[in-house]
Amino acid sequence: MNATGIPLKEPAGSVAAGDTEQLERALIDASTRVPVLIFYTSAVAWLILGTLLAGFVSFKLHTPDLLSDISFLTWGRVRPVHMNVMVYGWASMAGMGTAIWLMARLCRTVLRYPLLLVAGAGFWNLGVFLGVCGILLGDSTGYQWLEFPSYAAIILFVAYTLVASWAVLMFRFRRGEQIYITQWYLLAAFLWFPWLYAAGQLMLFVVPVQGVLQAAVGWWYANNLLFLWFGAIGLGTAYYMIPKVIGRPVYSYHLATIGFWSYALFSSWTGMQRLVDGPFPAWMVTASIAATILTLIPVATVGLNHHMTMQGYFPLMRYSPTLRFTVFGAMSYTVFSLVGVLISLRSVARYVNFTQASIAYSHLGLYAFFTMVIFGSMYYIVPRLIGREWRYGSLIKLHFWASAYGIGLMTLMLLAGGLTQGASMENPSLAFSESVESVLPYLRGRSLSGILLTVAHFIFAYHFGLMLFGLGRKSTVPTFLNPVEAEGAEVAH
Amino acid sequence: MNENTPPPEPPSGQGMDYSEIADVHEVHAAVQREKREPRVGREPLSIWLVAVYGLAVFFGGAYLGRFSGNFSGEALDPYGGEMPTMKKVTGPQGAQPEAELSPHDRGKKVFAANCQTCHQANGLGVAGQYPPLAGSEFTTGASSRPAMIVMKGLTGPVTVKGQKFGAAVMQPWDKTLTDQKIADVLTYERSEWGNNASPVTAEQIAALRKELANHPNSFTEPEILAAPDEDLPGGAPGGAPPKPGEAAKPGEPPKPHG
Amino acid sequence: MKGLAPLFLGIFGTFAFSWVGLTLIPNWQIGHLNPQSDEEGTDIYPMPQSGMVTRGARVYAANGCNYCHSEQVRADYSGADIERKWGDRRSAPRDYIFERPVLLGKMRMGQDLANIGARAPKEEESLSPTGGASPAPQGAAASPGAVASAKAASPPPATSPSPATAPAASPGAIASKPPTSPGPAGPPPSKSPAAAAAASPAASPAPSAPPWPEQTAGLPPMYSAAWHHVHLYSPRSINFDSNMPSYRFLYETRRISDARSSDALQLTGSDTPREGWEIVPTYDAKCLVAYMMALNQSHPLKEVRSTGASAAASPAASPPPAPGGQPAK
Repeated sequence: MNATGIPLKEPAGSVAAGDTEQLERALIDASTRVPVLIFYTSAVAWLILGTLLAGFVSFKLHTPDLLSDISFLTWGRVRPVHMNVMVYGWASMAGMGTAIWLMARLCRTVLRYPLLLVAGAGFWNLGVFLGVCGILLGDSTGYQWLEFPSYAAIILFVAYTLVASWAVLMFRFRRGEQIYITQWYLLAAFLWFPWLYAAGQLMLFVVPVQGVLQAAVGWWYANNLLFLWFGAIGLGTAYYMIPKVIGRPVYSYHLATIGFWSYALFSSWTGMQRLVDGPFPAWMVTASIAATILTLIPVATVGLNHHMTMQGYFPLMRYSPTLRFTVFGAMSYTVFSLVGVLISLRSVARYVNFTQASIAYSHLGLYAFFTMVIFGSMYYIVPRLIGREWRYGSLIKLHFWASAYGIGLMTLMLLAGGLTQGASMENPSLAFSESVESVLPYLRGRSLSGILLTVAHFIFAYHFGLMLFGLGRKSTVPTFLNPVEAEGAEVAH
Repeated sequence: MNENTPPPEPPSGQGMDYSEIADVHEVHAAVQREKREPRVGREPLSIWLVAVYGLAVFFGGAYLGRFSGNFSGEALDPYGGEMPTMKKVTGPQGAQPEAELSPHDRGKKVFAANCQTCHQANGLGVAGQYPPLAGSEFTTGASSRPAMIVMKGLTGPVTVKGQKFGAAVMQPWDKTLTDQKIADVLTYERSEWGNNASPVTAEQIAALRKELANHPNSFTEPEILAAPDEDLPGGAPGGAPPKPGEAAKPGEPPKPHG
Repeated sequence: MKGLAPLFLGIFGTFAFSWVGLTLIPNWQIGHLNPQSDEEGTDIYPMPQSGMVTRGARVYAANGCNYCHSEQVRADYSGADIERKWGDRRSAPRDYIFERPVLLGKMRMGQDLANIGARAPKEEESLSPTGGASPAPQGAAASPGAVASAKAASPPPATSPSPATAPAASPGAIASKPPTSPGPAGPPPSKSPAAAAAASPAASPAPSAPPWPEQTAGLPPMYSAAWHHVHLYSPRSINFDSNMPSYRFLYETRRISDARSSDALQLTGSDTPREGWEIVPTYDAKCLVAYMMALNQSHPLKEVRSTGASAAASPAASPPPAPGGQPAK
């Protein structure tokens, strides 16, 4: 574990020292330091908690008597706590941290009104904490990703308005003519989330809608959260990081436009894909399945755009942590969408509905795509806030491989297990418990993958902690994953 | 692609006070080696991508068109299955307005939707489980017995065409089907598969419904056989036989039926 | 993109499109359904829930039961739910109009519960020694041999019980079977609706050979309220392979005051409390079980076809005929 001994290299397309654009960026970075680090630190703390809970949940599924008689440790309460901690604690806060930095950079103005963000982070943490306690004490509402009782949800919403107002203000005071692709996605995410959250809360708990529509609204909310909040932030981040790290422009503006609008149009209709064959008018489910098929348009578009941007620069993934994580995430986005189309078709849903396959799908989207892209962005952004480089390249490598293998194994296990489970359930001559027994070995395999992910996250948290306490490397040279051998390698990070 | 750095904008003084923050130098190193902020190229759209779009739109649209049940709020079945038996017209899903079909054809639809699962489309039932209707003495005899069975169901062992059945239970249909539908399906059964018995009308079933209103569900074979093998009153010409339902209520004098 | 206005418009527009299309329009279509009734205005289905049931639904949601159990029956063309005897017909929107929250569920690590209340033993049968000839499913009528053969998915042997002995499903009948240790040797009494379906003659869904497998002697009749309490307290005493967590925190252990209270759980094996103590359900547990006993979609709906071939007389209708209960004529 030694610092990479790479001779200092002038960055390609180098600009003279003291260039105003560079100074601007430096000032912007310095101004974003406190709010973004608050969000990141909270996010990493929730990540650790969520990972431990995930292990708990996974193990209890095949060893049910583990600590089962205590009310706040029962599986049915710990599982929603894990999901909500990961969704609102880790993913949302890390996503917001990255989005804040990106907004500041792209609006080319220092971060104004940092107090809004600090207050927002504080209230958000409070909301998640109260929500977690509420669920463990028996106040869960039962709707996926809306389990927080109302007293926590309202705090979350208040916190969010603080962050969103900041984003709008920043946008108002932006400099420059162009609105870059990332800004479309981030702006959209910041505007969609409150509407989504408010609609979900109102229609499920305040109005509430009658009967089976509650389930429809619930899953409309959950899927839209995945696509319109996390997906938008993830895609926007990838659109910044990839061209930024390799120093080339994004391939095509037209592709980016089509990708963005088709994404906005179709992915918001996919909610009912989780309720195929449910007690609904057929058109609702069919519309969602058709929308899922149509999301192949933005997937193909964005994928092509990123691919052509990266053309010839894939070797850089050997060195740059950000690039590696981001490209992994972007590729996972394609896999995630394809899996989504497959399991939504009625003929396949017959077998995979009500099985673990749906969990695989959620984790593909939230972890393999979103979390990996966010990891990549954190590896890029944190040195710019702290003024130190990541200390150990080997730890970053370990983090990457543990995460990649972890999520890959988990996806395989859950998809295969889900198919087995579904095939057994579809055979009425088999006892129902057969389907459960057939999936158990896969669940144990999933627990194994969970161990890998736990290792990855603890490594990351430790590494991040080192940075936070100023123990990073003092160097002008970034931390690469592998030593840069060739002289011509244009790796500036 | 044009990679030239555009001339940087002169500082406009909008919040960019260079002397403000002391630790600019600390972050400066990372910023200094950075590539420039991302920008977008202008490559044109590939024709292959447009082909992919076309395929996606085609399949998505075709799926939407085919399986939406006309976007009706009541169509739960994406494959255009049986429409709800509610009175109001729900839409042109290939269903002709009921009045245009003959009772036999209407009954055929009712049969297909409700009876076919057990009694099979050829009316032969399943050996040992579901009695046949083709050539069955119950179906082809006078109309009161099959009507009673359809209205209230049948439990327990029953012998049809010399074979014993008893494994399955026939559910009552009086709550699920209207008078017209029961009459139509009986008409269908009594004139299909080589059966040749008199049709049944909705009025007859309505009268029977009133008679059986207080009857608990499910007849058994002895009760059916105890009922007179007569046609339901009000339809086919004939005398005034005692009402079938009354046979099940001992002690009540037979009422003349108009 | 140059203009800010088109960007904002597009962002709002695309979301509004989805919000209106996927939530508001369905609300207009199926958001104001009324229960159905027959011509006389009687036989209303569904009925609003009682207080204990409503509270039970919240207990169900709060303890995350719907992360393993679903509450929706799929149509016969979409899945094997009806063949598994989880319902006579598919679920329809009208079934849920009085439920809150509606927890359709997305996972089946445990069986579907949409009709779990319909599978409860009828009061008459659980008391009468002969059990009546009703098709209502009872426990413990399939012989172990039949369960074994069903598990092997082979045709049932000739030793499967004849219909005449099948309805003997009262507790007395259960006790008279050779007592098995907790968890029978061989195939465990899994929740297999179809096991005995395969075991009945000619592999038909015959009502006389109930689809629910045998259970350990000494336990209450399957799917009765008492059974639910035992199942919640100790799932593995009922099904050795079950993965369900135990919900002991919903129960209290207390000293027997004068006599054993009627609520006390009938536990077996290592779960039985010490001498002089009994285990009783808390109010939350009672509400939860009341909720489950109320989960019943077997009432036919006009807009949905009933396809269960041995569709039992719906509980909303009159009680099943007992031999000699009808005036024979």
